[in-house]
Amino acid sequence: MSPAVEDPTLDRLAAERATGALHGRGGALYLADGAVVHAESPAVPDVGWRLTAGGRLSPESWEEAVTRGGADHRAGSFLVERGRLSRGELELCHLSALFDAAYFVLSPLDGSRRAPDRFFREARHWFGPVRPVPVALLQREMRRRRSLLERAWPCPEVDAAPVVPVPGAVPREPGAAGPTCGRRAVLEAADGVRTPSQIALALGRCAFATLLDVRRLAAAGLVRTPEAGAPASRAPLRGPRADAPEISLLYRIRDALEAL
Amino acid sequence: MTGIDGCLSEAMAIPGARGVSLVDWTSGLTLGAVGDGPEGGHETSAAEVAELARLAFESGAFTRGTPGAGPVEDLIVTARGSYHLIRFVETAFDSSVFLHLWLDRAEANLAVALFRLKELTARLVLA
Repeated sequence: MSPAVEDPTLDRLAAERATGALHGRGGALYLADGAVVHAESPAVPDVGWRLTAGGRLSPESWEEAVTRGGADHRAGSFLVERGRLSRGELELCHLSALFDAAYFVLSPLDGSRRAPDRFFREARHWFGPVRPVPVALLQREMRRRRSLLERAWPCPEVDAAPVVPVPGAVPREPGAAGPTCGRRAVLEAADGVRTPSQIALALGRCAFATLLDVRRLAAAGLVRTPEAGAPASRAPLRGPRADAPEISLLYRIRDALEAL
Repeated sequence: MTGIDGCLSEAMAIPGARGVSLVDWTSGLTLGAVGDGPEGGHETSAAEVAELARLAFESGAFTRGTPGAGPVEDLIVTARGSYHLIRFVETAFDSSVFLHLWLDRAEANLAVALFRLKELTARLVLA
């Protein structure tokens, strides 16, 4: 099985109806009254990147929401109030990012199997709650995702390794039934250096869906499977906006200080 | 309409509606549900319906003949006692969700339900 973290800490925090941030090697989960209200991980594109990558929001609109809404821990609601997004769009995008990040917080790609264990009580995220997710639902979904990966291709080595297409494996003639939609995009972004996470960041796409696509491509013989036990890529995970002023980092520091 | 919950309750007002859910087809995760689920709970059926939706959406079989015309929009499953409408939600950012509306066949009008569902999903993501 892939590294699965069944986390008693999370159950306890849910039972206590705790509010705060639970940090681990793969990122952080934010809770309010025992429900998960936000998750972030460097392995997945965040809400801002998802909304700006496809042009749904301009980077300026996003920065305005982070700066002005984030100051009151409500950047998400700010976007809806200003008419930048519909409530439905905010909920869909945020839930997708939340479950995506939570997967990598609870199943870190470094294979450490270490559950998140540092809890900062009363810490709140600057994005603000949108649609709280009960811990039990989150845990059921994490189990379902692990089993989907396992069923697609039981080789966790492909998750953190560079994706290397097998030359000539994709049919070239027009009209031939090759990989479709997401999987074709993943193959096109696979340059032999990027890992599945880095492909997801490049495409502004759900990292779990990308991981699943890579496993399915491996099962179909379209990408190479690394040798078991081969060292994972040491390339740093850089978000696409890594050079932009990181106001979100400042908020995180502030939130952590407030939580002390 | 106020987000997912508003969309689901409006879908329940479609004549013949027995239950409606919003499902992510990458994993079969139920993001919201109202009314009855076809197998008791909504989560049980969501995983199977998601698998069908994913196969239809990702398959080129339905769209290869009309290149450039866009992806699959709806799936319609008719059974002796029911209609099931699956409407993919199109967003301007990465997502993989559909609305699944379960209708009582004796009470529903398929054309009306399709039209209303199309209009609802469009409004869900309209700013």
